Amino acid sequence: MHRVGGKHGLTLGSAGPGAGITPAALGGESVQKVLLVWPERCTGCRVCELACSWEHERVFSPALSRIQVVSWKRQGVDVPMVCQQCQTALCMEACTARAVSRDPDTGAVLVDERRCIGCHMCVLACPFGGPAIHPETGKIIKCDLCGGNPRCAEMCPVGAIEYVRADRVGLARKRASLGYLTRYLDLAVKEG
Amino acid sequence: MAYGGYQGKFLDVDLSAGRVEVHPVPEEMQRMYLGGDGVAARILWDTVRPGVDPLGPDNVLVIATGPLTGTMFPPSGRWMAASLSPLTFHWGEAHAGGFFGAELKYAGFDYLVIRGSSPEPVWLCIFDGKAQLRPAFDLWGKTVPETTDTIVRELGDPEVKVACIGPAGEKLVRYAAIMSDYWRAAGRTGMGAVMGAKRLKAIAVRGFQPVRVADPDAFFAACRDAHRAHREGEWAEYIRRTSRRYGTTGLTDAMNAIGRLPVKNHQDGYLPDVERVGCEAIRQKYRVAHKACFGCALQCKYVSHVPSGPYRGTRSEGPEYETVDAWGPNILVYDLDVVMRANYLCNIYGLDTISAGAAVAFAMELYERGLIGPADTGGMEIRWGDGETALALLEQIARREGFGRLLGEGCDLAARELGGEAWRYAITVNGLEASGQDPRSHKSVGCTYATNVRGADHLRSLSVIDELGFRSKAVERFPHLDPDVCGDLLDETYKGYMVADQEECFAVCDSLILCKYGVMWPPIYYFPEFARAISTATGMKEYADPEAVRALGRRICHLRRAFNVRLGWDRSRDTLHPRFTEEPMPSGPAKGQVCRLEPMLKEYYEVRGYDEATGLPYRDTLEKAGLSDVAGELARLGRLAERG
Repeated sequence: MHRVGGKHGLTLGSAGPGAGITPAALGGESVQKVLLVWPERCTGCRVCELACSWEHERVFSPALSRIQVVSWKRQGVDVPMVCQQCQTALCMEACTARAVSRDPDTGAVLVDERRCIGCHMCVLACPFGGPAIHPETGKIIKCDLCGGNPRCAEMCPVGAIEYVRADRVGLARKRASLGYLTRYLDLAVKEG
Repeated sequence: MAYGGYQGKFLDVDLSAGRVEVHPVPEEMQRMYLGGDGVAARILWDTVRPGVDPLGPDNVLVIATGPLTGTMFPPSGRWMAASLSPLTFHWGEAHAGGFFGAELKYAGFDYLVIRGSSPEPVWLCIFDGKAQLRPAFDLWGKTVPETTDTIVRELGDPEVKVACIGPAGEKLVRYAAIMSDYWRAAGRTGMGAVMGAKRLKAIAVRGFQPVRVADPDAFFAACRDAHRAHREGEWAEYIRRTSRRYGTTGLTDAMNAIGRLPVKNHQDGYLPDVERVGCEAIRQKYRVAHKACFGCALQCKYVSHVPSGPYRGTRSEGPEYETVDAWGPNILVYDLDVVMRANYLCNIYGLDTISAGAAVAFAMELYERGLIGPADTGGMEIRWGDGETALALLEQIARREGFGRLLGEGCDLAARELGGEAWRYAITVNGLEASGQDPRSHKSVGCTYATNVRGADHLRSLSVIDELGFRSKAVERFPHLDPDVCGDLLDETYKGYMVADQEECFAVCDSLILCKYGVMWPPIYYFPEFARAISTATGMKEYADPEAVRALGRRICHLRRAFNVRLGWDRSRDTLHPRFTEEPMPSGPAKGQVCRLEPMLKEYYEVRGYDEATGLPYRDTLEKAGLSDVAGELARLGRLAERG
């Protein structure tokens, strides 16, 4: 196993700076992490789908992946789509069997497979296609953030999917939106 | 317990009878030949005997995946086609990236065996374990993107993956490609013409069946390590700086630096002002999006778009290095707009960009030397560097109109038809137009071209240790040889050994099926990595030993060669075009060089176990490789060498 579950949400074996250290371990306030998707970086390689289906089903199958890349191949456009873990989760509100709950550690919206009756109301309610139907059981499958160590983000070769603290998202997007400015900044550095 | 990594089924398609059958894949096929190239070699050996017309109903077309296709081992979307080639009249095979291979696997099949010939145009629809032939009247004549769009619309699922031929394949251009995923070409040796002759316009696949592996945890660890090897460590910086940043177009500059960039129909190997067609020029002016094949860790694909000029709006994936050279330096065109246009047109018509470009270069040299004139070309003046004429010729080739009828036969057959000295300017080896290498400045390429089962092409056995100076790999792989001699581009010594080594390595790569990226530059995968992936994915424990994997690669090499030997191939075919052996390189770092083939061939035959005098395999060579039946048949035909 690559993660240790439980209320502390400790992660082991994850890559990158600060690996294995959570805010809780530092004695600080635990800050929610979210999957941050950068469609402009996505190359449509589907490694995220392969990693996801392996993590959840121990097979390789884009059809069983919780994250899926939506592609317009002729135009050359690819967008990874995954559950947004909404704060007001319509899937949760639509669930007739009270099978949907929120993971207190990761913030992920989870479906309890034993409670799920396979009515698929959550599929209808979700505006993003977050919940999907398992072809064999007929029950709901959806992103659970891999318990706090999402495989898609770990394996994405181009950093199009990142797992970051929620309070960093706004600034990251702001910086990305100003990407064109770096051209002028580079010029200024050279001239200066 | 069935082996992991496979779906265990193949489709037998008899186009003459209009019948499609599902059969189980014999376990021996998987154990002995793995997938892709290996499986295709066995099937073609068993079914395509001497005397078969490559464009007739008796030829067989194999479309195959391998045990790693559709898994997370990078990259895993590749597929291959193999058949008796209508261009070389010997072993033909072509590979493509993209997504089609993985989808075929998810649709439930490891490979397709396509026999016969349909009386009317048809396409093959494969959907989640089932398959059906459908009429293709409405598709016949359509370009590749039109065909793909029409099928996707008809099936109503944007995730349908299509491999098809364009007008060039229908018109039996001998170097027509099979295109998949709009822009991916299984280009070489005319596999598209084989499909066209069978009147099979397209194959569409879609499926939802997972790929299971024997040991999920160990295999995932192997996959993760393979991905990490692209991202961290020894080769990460190399990938960021070259392969991923420029794709294969980075080779234009790199090959020019070693004097190995074919210029003017392979007359020269060096272009002083290469930056005009170099990778940075392409990157800055044309690139609009970064793409990747299925499951890839390296990610070298780009979409290019022509922003201005007469070809404004031309948009296609690519072009790759080979296309840039074939439609740029090799015909003395410096206008990258023309290269972009040629790439786009070849893709939508379904043509091999290398052979098509070579046919134009051939015509330009013939015209310059007065061997053809306006009377032959329908009044067209074909001059070096004239991009507009080159594109007009391309259109004619794709439609087999005007002078394009002759050029569509491939350079060898065209030269034969023209007679006289024309053959001197058809830069081919064994019927295949030479790709973007030159044996004079990279000596091992000479051995690669000469011994290659599909002719003058690099992808069966190109040695990269000397090409790109990977000295550490020479030390690692050839501990008994001097690494500096191994790395010397201009020294023939040891190159026969190195080419044979690469041929075995590539045979496994082409059977798994992986990309040459990651095996060639950078050279991340070698037998130990293959061994780990094969044994954990399939559960075939004997392949945990890298030497067993090498033996498997060698078996596939022998079988492909035996296929050619049965058709009459011998020592006299292991040769090169005189341009490479007699005309010294005029300029650049390799100025004055020619390629001396003999010392390399001697080493190659020695390590392969072939008779040096005849080029035929010895009986014990084939028997040791587990090919006793093949040895027996060759012996009956008098095509086997005996020691003594």
